[in-house]
Amino acid sequence: MPYVELKNVTKRYGNVEVINGLSLGVEEGSFTALLGPSGCGKSTLLRMVAGLEEITSGQCFIAGSEVTKTPPAQRGVAMVFQNYALYPHLTVRQNIAFSLSLARVPRAVQDERVGRVASLLQLEELLERRPAQLSGGQRQRVAIGRALVRDPNVFLFDEPLSNLDAALRSQMRVELAKLHQEVKTTMIYVTHDQVEAMTLADRIVVLDKGNISQVGSPLELYNMPANRFVASFIGSPAMNFFPATVSGKSGRDVALTLPGGHSATIISRGDRLADGGVEVGVRPEHFKLGDAGGAGAAFDGTIGIVEQLGNSTLLYVDTAAGQMIVEAEGNLQVASGEKVGLTIDHTRSHMFGQDAQAI
Amino acid sequence: MSNVSSNAAVAKRRGPSWLGGVLLTLISAICAAVWFFPLYWALVTSFRHDDETVKSFGLIPENPTIDGYLYVIRNSNLPLWYLNSTITSVTITIVAVFMAACAGYAISQLRFPGRQLLWWIILASFMIPVPALIVNHFVIIASVKLLNTYPGIILPMLVTPVTVIVYKQFFDSLPKEFREAAVMDGANEFQLLLRVFLPMNWGITTALAIITFIGAWNSFLWPFLAQQNEKMMTVTVGIVAVRDSFGVFYGRFMAGAVLASLPVALAYLIFQKRVTQAITLSAGIKG
Amino acid sequence: MQKNKLSESLVAAVLVAPFIVVYGWMFVYPTFQMVQLSFTNAPLIGPGVWIGFENYTRMFADKVFQTAVWNTAYFVLLTVAPGTAVALVIALMVSRLKGWTQSVILSTFFLPFVLPVTVVYLIWDWMLNVQFGILQHVIAPIVGRPINVWRAIPWFMPSAAILTIWWTNGFSILLFLAGLRNIPKDLYEAASLDGATRWQMFSRITWPLIWPVTVLCLTIQLILQLKIFDQVYLFARGGRTQATMVLVQYIYEQAFQNNSGGYASAIAVALFVIVVAFSVLQFQLLRIRRAS
Repeated sequence: MPYVELKNVTKRYGNVEVINGLSLGVEEGSFTALLGPSGCGKSTLLRMVAGLEEITSGQCFIAGSEVTKTPPAQRGVAMVFQNYALYPHLTVRQNIAFSLSLARVPRAVQDERVGRVASLLQLEELLERRPAQLSGGQRQRVAIGRALVRDPNVFLFDEPLSNLDAALRSQMRVELAKLHQEVKTTMIYVTHDQVEAMTLADRIVVLDKGNISQVGSPLELYNMPANRFVASFIGSPAMNFFPATVSGKSGRDVALTLPGGHSATIISRGDRLADGGVEVGVRPEHFKLGDAGGAGAAFDGTIGIVEQLGNSTLLYVDTAAGQMIVEAEGNLQVASGEKVGLTIDHTRSHMFGQDAQAI
Repeated sequence: MSNVSSNAAVAKRRGPSWLGGVLLTLISAICAAVWFFPLYWALVTSFRHDDETVKSFGLIPENPTIDGYLYVIRNSNLPLWYLNSTITSVTITIVAVFMAACAGYAISQLRFPGRQLLWWIILASFMIPVPALIVNHFVIIASVKLLNTYPGIILPMLVTPVTVIVYKQFFDSLPKEFREAAVMDGANEFQLLLRVFLPMNWGITTALAIITFIGAWNSFLWPFLAQQNEKMMTVTVGIVAVRDSFGVFYGRFMAGAVLASLPVALAYLIFQKRVTQAITLSAGIKG
Repeated sequence: MQKNKLSESLVAAVLVAPFIVVYGWMFVYPTFQMVQLSFTNAPLIGPGVWIGFENYTRMFADKVFQTAVWNTAYFVLLTVAPGTAVALVIALMVSRLKGWTQSVILSTFFLPFVLPVTVVYLIWDWMLNVQFGILQHVIAPIVGRPINVWRAIPWFMPSAAILTIWWTNGFSILLFLAGLRNIPKDLYEAASLDGATRWQMFSRITWPLIWPVTVLCLTIQLILQLKIFDQVYLFARGGRTQATMVLVQYIYEQAFQNNSGGYASAIAVALFVIVVAFSVLQFQLLRIRRAS
């Protein structure tokens, strides 16, 4: 029985339907990410769980009870906002304790609970400061603290790291992961950044224009994307796509003719294959560099830009099928203009049909 | 090429750069002094003996005295008028500002039937000149037998659509995440208003309160109509309604004038920033 | 946001109720009553009989009403445009000052605005006192003799206008200052590099960019001075009040001295129409300027 469940929910703003008949379940204690580009409806879904958006039709359940019409404060959820929404006129202590003081919790109890949260998030020294005096990362922790002190059944995060710089973001990611390990509360996390989703979540829900594209663990989504959208969204650098025509089939092996004339064989996942054209997806790390004109090469190409990252090298190779991004080992001695051949790892490649679903 | 030479020509015309600044300050100071003269003259007169006021016209009183002030305080109803002004102005300030904050909050944050209509009516009320309504105010207050009472003075002066509009626009301007966070923390609307929205900017409330106070204190037409009883007059009305209080002695008149303007002048001088802020806010609405 | 529509409306009702009660009772109702009474012959207190447009026809033929309209217009002419011009000049001057010099000088110009009208009256009455007023030392040499400005009809309005400008200018100065502050300094720097003279910088940069503020000041002043009463009433006491009658004063006189509530209401409606007409005019003017 899912801990948080949305059943057949629809969200309409006037005549515009943003979400249509979506159903979703979140397991207790899990860290679920809602991932997708802006406008896909992920924040709307989160806010429907929070009670900040009305559910036009459908139902929402938390911990077994229906909360579709329940006001937010009574759902047992707490939210961390993208811009933190810390009350600027209150100290950190008062910010964290705000919900308790609204509920007229005795002062001693307030102080005790604030103290516990502050030590968990390392905020003890900042308790008497105002938000304006804090750095971005500190404010983020206070926002988490404010949510944590309410001891919620579900933690909701609305793109909490998007306002932080890169270094801070990685640091906060680790802290969030540790937090989840520590408190073991169900967490639903909205983000457009697939790295955040991949690193933090045990389950990712990929959303596209108000519909669920795929649900699965990070590695599932990475290794077995169900459609072209998920395949292109997950993984950085992004997957390469190119068209190909089916030239033969034997069991699960599909022979393809590629642009440029070479051929390759790719293992399909099922029996859905139709004849004609497919789209092939190959991740940058699943291309192998070889000599130009080598046997078994899928493409002959010329190296365009080379990006030396230290632990890997990114090559932008011009081929008959357009530009391919190839990820090779670090410290590679190559130069722009060199001719190379690219081989595909056929066990790790993907095919997508006309309907953009995986084949 | 020609730009460079014309630059040099311009620079030459202007002379050394500090001269302009000094000249400007000098001219400004002179203008300000001229502008200030009436107030200065009133002050000087107030510290003169009454017989001296009609004889000497020096800029500094030769024998400064506080006789005028003493007379006014002891022999007229001015202390009583002060009390009346204080009671009415403070009441008006507190009640009007609080009512306006509540109404502005409701219009900004809540959805209720008639909300749009109410907002339109408030906006339109700018065009109705309040002095045109004095007759009707008089009739209404007379009919509920509140003439010559504090409520009688206070009631018509509680109408401040500008304050409602300023509050509504201020509440509109707050990012809605604050509201959402507070709602998730369990706040009801009253707690939202009193513990989140208003405290986020006490400056605006202070500014509106001060300007409401000044307006109430300085009000003439309505308090003049609403009180026939000298003992119930506000100080603004009293100093002109009762000429015989002082006799025809200008030293005393000026003392009375200075005393009458003291609270509002001080309010401005102390809270200059707030007053400026309130004025720019209310003017911004009419634009 | 998920909430109960009924309870939201109830809470809203509680919050707006005090305001609506006072506003309705002290503003909306009197406005309707004003219009309604204008069609009756009611006295100050008590009901009257419906007489249709009789009050209005009487009003248009009424010489005193015409005088009041003319005087009000005259006063407006003397205060609105000149006052705004003075405020602009002062603002231009003050905007170039810095630090506490600016602060002190600005407060000096603004201070009269926070004073009650009666204090202003007392001060200027004293200064213009025909026997002992210090300003007579300025008037007498020019005109040849001291003048009792409040009893000499041609002098009355201009004197009232001058002190009104002195009294209310602070407001416009503040607005202009804010407007001037919003003009980016780079525009002037670029212009001076292009060789613009001071006048050109004013006429080509400052004046056009400050135009919305100018219009705002003009209209606020206009609507304010159309309602003029206090100063004129106070200074005209004891003299020939009819010659210097203004509109609000006429309302007051008809209501309280002639006991004609109905007729006074008709005059009030006339004033209301005039103010509305000018407000709409301002709105249109501003829109046209913005569009062009």
